[in-house]
Amino acid sequence: MPSPAVLLYFLLIISALLVAVFVLRPSITGNREGKMLAFIAFLILPTLCFVWGGTEHVERSKETKFCITCHIMEPYGRSLYVDDPAYVPAQHFQNHRIPTDVACFTCHTDYALYGDIRAKLRGLHHIYVQYLGTPPSPEKIKLYTPYNNRECLHCHMGARSFMSNDVHKAILSQLTSNQLSCTSSGCHDTIHNVGSQSNVKFWNPDQGGSHE
Amino acid sequence: MNMPHILRISGVLLILALLIELLTLLWDKPLSFLLFAFVGGVLFVAGVLIYLYSLVSIRE
Repeated sequence: MPSPAVLLYFLLIISALLVAVFVLRPSITGNREGKMLAFIAFLILPTLCFVWGGTEHVERSKETKFCITCHIMEPYGRSLYVDDPAYVPAQHFQNHRIPTDVACFTCHTDYALYGDIRAKLRGLHHIYVQYLGTPPSPEKIKLYTPYNNRECLHCHMGARSFMSNDVHKAILSQLTSNQLSCTSSGCHDTIHNVGSQSNVKFWNPDQGGSHE
Repeated sequence: MNMPHILRISGVLLILALLIELLTLLWDKPLSFLLFAFVGGVLFVAGVLIYLYSLVSIRE
């Protein structure tokens, strides 16, 4: 069975060829059957292609490999391979606590094009800066708003290992209300830390070990 | 403008839109999404609107 992407390519080519037939021979629309076929070729198929294509683009842009396509994001992608369990994203990524193929999107669900209208505008601004502006150095990139505990609690809330921890139990209401941050209150504050990558070891999944 | 001419313009715009969509899907970069949405999207909408206009103009 061909993948959905291959089916979409096939549909795009068929649609373009069908429209081309009408461009070369518009007289086909002279009868009722021709008009109906033209309606399918000029309206139904292109609309289907664009809805499907848009969905495919959005789905692809959730992939980890897509996020690190931008040069500026490469150190963030590398940070997922740091061989140190104190690095929260690396620990989650390497132990498959998050889906590795959509790792960035899993923890940054309201980022850039996936968030509200402001986030979408920021996403467009990022692309503008990437191609036409002067991107900042990776270590200077900061989140627009403090990291939302919701992203952590989405999985950890109710989990035995999380709930049986006395510290978590004591501050649970502050965590759920975002009064206390999981990542910047001194508990789990080693995140991507891209500025210090020259001093850390990296895990090599192919060899199972680590390297400098 | 006669009906075949309008249909040809609409068809050319739609073919371009579909080809741009195909190329942007094959080119996996952030810029490809913008090309798809803004260039392909505009051509698609223009092509469809011109086709719909051709339907209305027949009735007239």
